[in-house]
Amino acid sequence: MASLRTTSRLFAASRPLFRPAAFARSYATVEATQNVEPNPSENPKMKTFKVYRWNPDTPAEKPTMQSYQLDLNKTGPMMLDALIRIKNELDPTLTFRRSCREGICGSCAMNIDGVNTLACLCRIPTDEASESRIYPLPHTYVVKDLVPDLTLFYKQYKSIKPYLQRDTPTEDGLEYRQSPEDRKKLDGLYECILCACCSTSCPSYWWNSEEYLGPAILLQSYRWLADSRDERTAERKAALDNNMSVYRCHTILNCTRTCPKGLNPGRAIAETKKMLAA
Amino acid sequence: MARLSGLQRDVLSLYRKCLRAIRTKPTESRSNFKRYARAEFQKHISVSKKDFNTIEYLLRKGHRQLEMYASPGIRNIR
Amino acid sequence: MDDIPSRTPEVVTNFIRVREVDPRPLHLLSNSVTMASFARPSLLRIATRSPLRQNVGVSQAVAFHASARKQILPPLPQTIEGTMNDPVPVPETKPSQGSYHWTFERAVCVGLIPLSVAPFAAGSLNPVMDAVLCTLLVAHSHIGFEAAIVDYFRPKRVPKTYAFCQWLLRAFTLTTAVGLYEFETNDVGVTEALRRIWNA
Repeated sequence: MASLRTTSRLFAASRPLFRPAAFARSYATVEATQNVEPNPSENPKMKTFKVYRWNPDTPAEKPTMQSYQLDLNKTGPMMLDALIRIKNELDPTLTFRRSCREGICGSCAMNIDGVNTLACLCRIPTDEASESRIYPLPHTYVVKDLVPDLTLFYKQYKSIKPYLQRDTPTEDGLEYRQSPEDRKKLDGLYECILCACCSTSCPSYWWNSEEYLGPAILLQSYRWLADSRDERTAERKAALDNNMSVYRCHTILNCTRTCPKGLNPGRAIAETKKMLAA
Repeated sequence: MARLSGLQRDVLSLYRKCLRAIRTKPTESRSNFKRYARAEFQKHISVSKKDFNTIEYLLRKGHRQLEMYASPGIRNIR
Repeated sequence: MDDIPSRTPEVVTNFIRVREVDPRPLHLLSNSVTMASFARPSLLRIATRSPLRQNVGVSQAVAFHASARKQILPPLPQTIEGTMNDPVPVPETKPSQGSYHWTFERAVCVGLIPLSVAPFAAGSLNPVMDAVLCTLLVAHSHIGFEAAIVDYFRPKRVPKTYAFCQWLLRAFTLTTAVGLYEFETNDVGVTEALRRIWNA
């Protein structure tokens, strides 16, 4: 992407300079910059991307699917590269969230070809014949185009108190220590980036999102239940011990299947249930 | 007057909430707030009353705006 | 100027809004992972592609949609309790509906496995074992149906339907229990009946 951007900048800078027709030869420079583009090709691999569009400024208009065509030879390998290229070159009004482009911020979660995933971790299928369909996360209220409203999700995250709760200081007054075995229990939990892919793929969460917490939040909740340094485990357990918060999980396991980070929220929920039963 | 639908009542309740929030503002800027609130409602007066999705979206947006402008830090509006 | 190749000749911009729109609001867009359980969206997609949709006027199109996506309990508009920075309220602790309920449910499930195998493996007909098996079966089905009711009919949204379904379920469970009792005391009993059907 960086190389693409430099070319376009170069291009923008050079064009007004050589605008007068008298400098006919200088267009060679333009062609030279064009060759900088990655993998110039005689036979372009055009792929169609269908993107969900909805503009809040004209709320009475129905959502539409808009199609864009890109040459895969000139696009980066990931869906996010394609989206950025569409926004840069084809349609600047396309709106989506993105930040880190390497699967650590969780901003670019969306539904690509029917699977909730991070656009930056999702390879563009090289099959040119089939078109790629990009939707926002399912069962969310849309802010614009591919941007979902995650207010409830974050409010639920806040309700599980996602921070270390402790009353007793350590003997030496230094940091709270943990044995390597205890630390190991947090592996597979602390990596969660709260992209909401799993929660929005859960049918139980679709039905009861107001009361059921959903896989992402429950995984985070278990991350604090499993932490050996936390001293409010009983309180945390009491907050979950009702028929809605945890027990609407029917082990459908869409969460585990869709998680772009390869985590297992289904297992975390099962462990939570075991902890509550004990 | 015909019986109002649930959605119509929601819209009216939002407007009432706006008016109540305006009462917490300084006296000299209240008329500005009122003008703004009215203008925001007027903007979408043409939305069909059967277009539920749009009205629901506008209600959500309205509540968010109300929450933001109701904060005591905001003292005037143009 | 004309002989200059345009900058990216491969890129074909298509700014025209396509005819084939997806009229479903977003809450209906389901993940293909779970598509199996929802036949309706795929049917709908076929419906929107039909040529009929292309030519009808706006009002007709709306009517067409309305009939095609007749939903049971469509999702409500989003309601945010409190401000955006407040956490959602934590529900009351009710172990009888939470952890105890879950433990009981699992115990019943695990208990059913040996009980459904034992009478046939042992080849003996014990009325006590029959009685326990019937009790657990009734409890198991009651819990299962109750979970479905709790999932789909929220008392917050449809309190009357919820109460009605709960009472209906209780009536069914009671009828089943009485029927099984009659069958056990006045007839041959469940295991014997199954054995006869199997050998018939």
